[in-house]
Amino acid sequence: MSDAVQEKRSISPIFWLLFGAGGMLSALFGPALILITGLLAPTGYGLPESFESYGHALAFAQNPIGKLVLLAVVSLFFWHGAERLYLTLKDMRAGPLLVLKFATYGVAAVVTLATFALLLAIGF
Amino acid sequence: MSERRPYRRPMPPNWWAHAPYRAYTARELSGVAVAIYGAVLFAGLISLWRGPDSYDAYLRFLRSPVSLLLHALLLAAVLYHVVTWFQTLPKTMPKLILDGKQVPPQKITQIATLAAGACSLALLLFTLWVAR
Amino acid sequence: MPEAAIAEKTVELRILRYRPASDDRPSFGSFEVPYAEDMSVLQALQTVKDTLDGTLSFRWSCRMAVCGSCGMMINGKPRLACNTFLRNLPPGPITIEPLNNFPIERDLVVTVGDFVKKIESIYPYIIPKEPKTIADGPYLQTPAQLAAYESFSDCINCMLCYAACPQFGENPDFIGPGAMALLQRYNGDSRDGGRQKRLDTIHGEDGVWSCTAVGICSEVCPKHVDPANAVNQNKTNSAFDFFLRFLRKEGAR
Repeated sequence: MSDAVQEKRSISPIFWLLFGAGGMLSALFGPALILITGLLAPTGYGLPESFESYGHALAFAQNPIGKLVLLAVVSLFFWHGAERLYLTLKDMRAGPLLVLKFATYGVAAVVTLATFALLLAIGF
Repeated sequence: MSERRPYRRPMPPNWWAHAPYRAYTARELSGVAVAIYGAVLFAGLISLWRGPDSYDAYLRFLRSPVSLLLHALLLAAVLYHVVTWFQTLPKTMPKLILDGKQVPPQKITQIATLAAGACSLALLLFTLWVAR
Repeated sequence: MPEAAIAEKTVELRILRYRPASDDRPSFGSFEVPYAEDMSVLQALQTVKDTLDGTLSFRWSCRMAVCGSCGMMINGKPRLACNTFLRNLPPGPITIEPLNNFPIERDLVVTVGDFVKKIESIYPYIIPKEPKTIADGPYLQTPAQLAAYESFSDCINCMLCYAACPQFGENPDFIGPGAMALLQRYNGDSRDGGRQKRLDTIHGEDGVWSCTAVGICSEVCPKHVDPANAVNQNKTNSAFDFFLRFLRKEGAR
């Protein structure tokens, strides 16, 4: 008969689900986003150079849908990278786990809050 | 059994850099690239909030060769992330049984990767259309 | 009467030896055995033991990859010795070491007690959904219901997956791929009603959450059990349970 001890529940599920959401979002739209914002618009290939102008960017960031998109993309991409980086640094034995957690999950949390605040500050 | 003295061989500290774990480490780092791109967007948001002059400096950075090279590398890394993500995805699902047999995980990977390609393509085409 | 000496093809085995009574640490010993086309590494080891050094210790039993006894590192990869043939290995000395990530008892024999405890800890038996007597007749199961868990029932407890798993190497308390495959063998069985009970054993850091989806466990498995699937689908289960547990009715099975 088993005498299984109920282990203390890990809170990893929180970070794992955020990691999963960010991973899925970046898998579906990441390549297109990098192409659009980082290669096509700045060089003017396929997109006019005015695509990323201040006026356009501001309009997007002030739009409620635009805000949701920006919050989802920035925040979830950071949570995804945070989990990956935390586990990689842990594999590499780069430091005490608590330090690694703050350096990864902590940064993702700060960026999430900052993005939320910036989007509000930019107005509607 | 008085002779028992089990010997623990230590794990090499850089196991993640050697076969067969190198591919796994590369996969994990491609996920970090996702966050690096997120940071580029975050920097843009900050400069947007600070005002037109700050945002223009950001645009100048985006147009620089350094940024273009960075984005090319990020694109390559994120494409590797896409491919490896859908290779891992079937592992997180219970076995899919159709007609009494298990659907091979490779099939799920194939279909999901194509769907992801279609999503990115759709976003790209939509953006090109909107920008006309 | 002079006879032409027939040059016998031989193969060199570099075997990691360790005798707890006399050795501080393991060291390699070298043995030369005659080569034959149909020889397995297990047969080569048996030749060493029978003709060169009777003190060489290693586990084996069935010689046909069903008992799971002869797992060891062959040229740095976790393999079954009975299922690894000399003709398929690259030319040159063959390096044979005990399974990675386990303490060495003696020579190629590793400590398996912790693994057995992990197997025992996940309720490795059908817990019926309702009490059923023999008079009620047998359970019926369709081929589809069998397919849902069949691969997990093929596990021979050879522990190659544990030797391949770097997270088990880093954390010996990690429940590991083999035990999770057995857990999923029961949770996936339509006759079973103990799903929640088993899930409750793996919610911790030493449960599924030590796994980082390296996936090499499934690559080295000689029976194609796919333990990586067993562990990772239970991450999904554990994650949803983390948030939805408050909706579970108290005392419900």
